[in-house]
Amino acid sequence: MDYKWISDLLDKYWEGETTLEEEATLRDFFSVPHADLPEALQEAAPLFQYFKVEAAKEWEVPPVTLPVTTPVVKLSPLRHWMKYAAVALVAVGIGYALKQQQVRKQDAAIALRQQEMNDPQKALDETKKALQLLARNLNKGTAKMQKLAYFNEATSLVEGKND
Amino acid sequence: MSLERFLTQVVPVRQKLYRFAFRLLGNEEDAQDITQDALMKVWGMQEKMAELQNMEAWCMRITRNLALDKIKSRKYRLSDDLDRAGEVPAIHQQSPHAVAEQNDVMGKVHVAINALPEKYRTILQLRDIDGLSYQEIADVLDIDMNDVKVNLHRARKSVREKLQNLQVYGL
Repeated sequence: MDYKWISDLLDKYWEGETTLEEEATLRDFFSVPHADLPEALQEAAPLFQYFKVEAAKEWEVPPVTLPVTTPVVKLSPLRHWMKYAAVALVAVGIGYALKQQQVRKQDAAIALRQQEMNDPQKALDETKKALQLLARNLNKGTAKMQKLAYFNEATSLVEGKND
Repeated sequence: MSLERFLTQVVPVRQKLYRFAFRLLGNEEDAQDITQDALMKVWGMQEKMAELQNMEAWCMRITRNLALDKIKSRKYRLSDDLDRAGEVPAIHQQSPHAVAEQNDVMGKVHVAINALPEKYRTILQLRDIDGLSYQEIADVLDIDMNDVKVNLHRARKSVREKLQNLQVYGL
């Protein structure tokens, strides 16, 4: 039997130059036993038999489990309106309380000052203090004015002499 | 992407994805998990589906990436265990089935192919078992078509050398 054609095809196969059809031919050829097969072909026989068996193998594949898709429920942003309302209420309450406290403090300070002014002795003391401060400052001014007067007097005397 | 489109275009390729994942991971349980994860990922990336030219290749690429991540994490787990255990004998995670397979010639071919680097092995399997074109393989692996050809050639050469050793020395 002439094996030259299959030998040529096998050489092409080892070189990686065969087409898919030619490779199928090789698989088919080696899948049946041949008498007086040359050694070069014998070495390749198990490989192609293996390919043939593997290609024909049936595989039991488990069924696909698809993810369960649940419809998307859009939630309203005002879903927690009671929470937001409660927070706002607490904030307003705290703000109001702080403001009230400030107003009360101011009232108390004014009332205290008024009370102090109603006492005649304290009012007298305060007035005295103010007048003493005024007097001190006026005296400072008078001393300077006196110096200035001496200077003016001297100037007029000198001018009178010259005249 | 509608559910109908997913069911008609993506779900039918799950057998391919499972087979692909099984070959990469080597066990059914992990392959099932990865196939399911890949399908969920595809479902989750619905908006990207419209731009795709080859949905099957895209699904396979996702499967491969997930499987490779899994292998990486498994390696880390294994190395952690070994660190804790100290000096223990090497762990052989081969099933009795795989061991039995090694006893015959087909089993040896299987071992020879599985001994290839991941990229070579995947390209060889996609071409010679699944019958994908060079372009389809390039799409799955996200590499250039010339790279596919070069890597396929190297993979076949490597397998041939192993088979020759098997023939001559019975290794």
